[in-house]
Amino acid sequence: MNSELIPSAAIGMNPVVGYAALILVALSTVLIGIYGLRISRTTGDFYVASRTVRPWWNASAIGGEYLSAASFLGVAGLILISGVDALWFPIGYTAGYLMLLLFVAAPLRRSGAYTIPDFAQARLDSLLVRRVTSMLVIVVGWLYIVPQLHGAALTVRITTGLPSWVGPVAVVVVVALSVMTGGMRSITFVQAFQYWLKLTALAVPLVFILLRLGSEGMAVTARGAAFTTDLDITGQASLYSTISLVIALLFGTLGLPHVLVRFYTNPDGASARQTTLIVLGLLSVFYLFPVAYGILGRIYTPELAAAGTADSTVLLLPGRIFDGVPGDLLSALVTAGAFAAFLSTTSGLVVSLAGVVSQEFFSGSVQGFRRAAVLSALIPLVFALLTDTQALAGSVGSVFAFTASTICPLLLLAIWWTGLTDIGAVAGMLTGAALCGGSILAAALLGGEAADFPWLQQPALWTVPAAFLVTILVSRATGHRRPRNTARVLARLHSPETL
Amino acid sequence: MCPSEESPAPTPLPESPGDVSPSPPLNTPPATPRDVPTDLPPQRVRVTAPRTSARSSSSSYPVLRELAEESEVGQLFVTSLIRSQLRLALVVAGGFLIILIGIPVLLTVFPSISEVTVFTVPVPWLLLGFAIYPLVIGCAALYVRSASRNEKRFQDLIDEF
Repeated sequence: MNSELIPSAAIGMNPVVGYAALILVALSTVLIGIYGLRISRTTGDFYVASRTVRPWWNASAIGGEYLSAASFLGVAGLILISGVDALWFPIGYTAGYLMLLLFVAAPLRRSGAYTIPDFAQARLDSLLVRRVTSMLVIVVGWLYIVPQLHGAALTVRITTGLPSWVGPVAVVVVVALSVMTGGMRSITFVQAFQYWLKLTALAVPLVFILLRLGSEGMAVTARGAAFTTDLDITGQASLYSTISLVIALLFGTLGLPHVLVRFYTNPDGASARQTTLIVLGLLSVFYLFPVAYGILGRIYTPELAAAGTADSTVLLLPGRIFDGVPGDLLSALVTAGAFAAFLSTTSGLVVSLAGVVSQEFFSGSVQGFRRAAVLSALIPLVFALLTDTQALAGSVGSVFAFTASTICPLLLLAIWWTGLTDIGAVAGMLTGAALCGGSILAAALLGGEAADFPWLQQPALWTVPAAFLVTILVSRATGHRRPRNTARVLARLHSPETL
Repeated sequence: MCPSEESPAPTPLPESPGDVSPSPPLNTPPATPRDVPTDLPPQRVRVTAPRTSARSSSSSYPVLRELAEESEVGQLFVTSLIRSQLRLALVVAGGFLIILIGIPVLLTVFPSISEVTVFTVPVPWLLLGFAIYPLVIGCAALYVRSASRNEKRFQDLIDEF
């Protein structure tokens, strides 16, 4: 998609609405952040909210942080373009939490570490593993922030008509301010608030839209045409692509840094599980709405598919169905929700990245955390301004494939297998990074021709097993390096705290 | 469903880990656990997060529950707990994945399924857009209950022991 300025008048959105929504969300985020500052005083508060957040709060916060631009805008956009194939994205995003619950949630909470590199070092007793894990976590975090900023660029451009760079810069400024002032404690409040904001922002307009369509006898599914119309410009997904995508999404969630750090704020392993269960409920409810927007979009905004701006379906749909003030109000609500999505995911990522960066380079103090937060937000901003917007759900999918091939094998084997060694873990992570990163780069370089190479576009199905295999084989070969306290650490990870 | 809902008993942050040289085997009581909190009211301490270079000690976990971890019988219980938790996780994940991957396989093998509609909504849309989510939540709830049960059983064993 090109990033030319699209005059907002051309698509019928009142710029005042956009400004009002953006300013409201930014203000409320900063205010809640400042409120959080008054109650977060120690380093523990800054990093992990002193681990005293209750399951419902925590689950809302996880949902708020996780539902990114790709979920809020990207899912509907992709459904508009490729129909039923796109439904795999919300399924993968949700079921990733099931895998997290099954294999990671409680043991990771019990490890007592702050970040993934902390966990890796404690488990494998190796600085090398820590370094490699830190680098990967930082790369994943940056890669994941970039699409959020692209989403912000799109939203601000469409709703206010301002140039593309305004959105990313605004997001980075608000996030840096709120993270620096309050750390994880205030972020938890902000995130929890933003889950409910996002849900409301999709649910209320949808209810009004459906009421209107129903009462005036307008088409909801156009007698099924909404499902079968072929707007696709990319061709149908093959069975291989579908399965590979599902694997990437399921196992990529485990390794996302901002998802994992959130689990440390649970008081114990059992409540970490409880939290995850609630998260699954919250995500399942949420994803019904973008799917509905996508289906309605196939009838009321089909031209967006060809124009390459399918990701704006959610933003434009209310204005297509309602004129005048009601349309403006509903559009404002959706815009606010979208902005909340970029803010919350970006700030979650910045918090977790800042945790890693400050421990790695700034000796883990509160000052260091603040400096690291600025750094973690600025670098992806530069990337985002230099690169072009792509389909949001797709570019986020690549990040999932990358984490599934690197951090996921480390975590799963570290938690469940006594035979893991530091060399094995490093070898596996580097293999996964090289194979998966290489495939994604190659597919990007090939551009349009990449459609002929689904195994490059969706590499997870072979890179994830390869990373696991290398980790296991190298660990076997270096069995003498197995840390001596393995049994004790595993016991710690798996036995209940109440013991 | 969640036995420890009411007892958050905040785990101490990983403060000074203390050295964890393996204490004498079998039932000798834990050797002067330095970092186990005493009866004194806990003081608010400013902690900094662990540093890269400062943490090469072999264990960063405070020594609690020494008995269960050090004695051979305790080790046996722990190993069997880990096994049963892993088996449970694999069974739930496997079942879910078979159903999940089964859907696109079925649709590819029998493309005619796509033409069946319920209130104008084609069956694949219903399955993937709606029906899969209750399945996810069901699997999760089942797992949470069984995992807590495994832990409870383990705890009972340790208590008896």
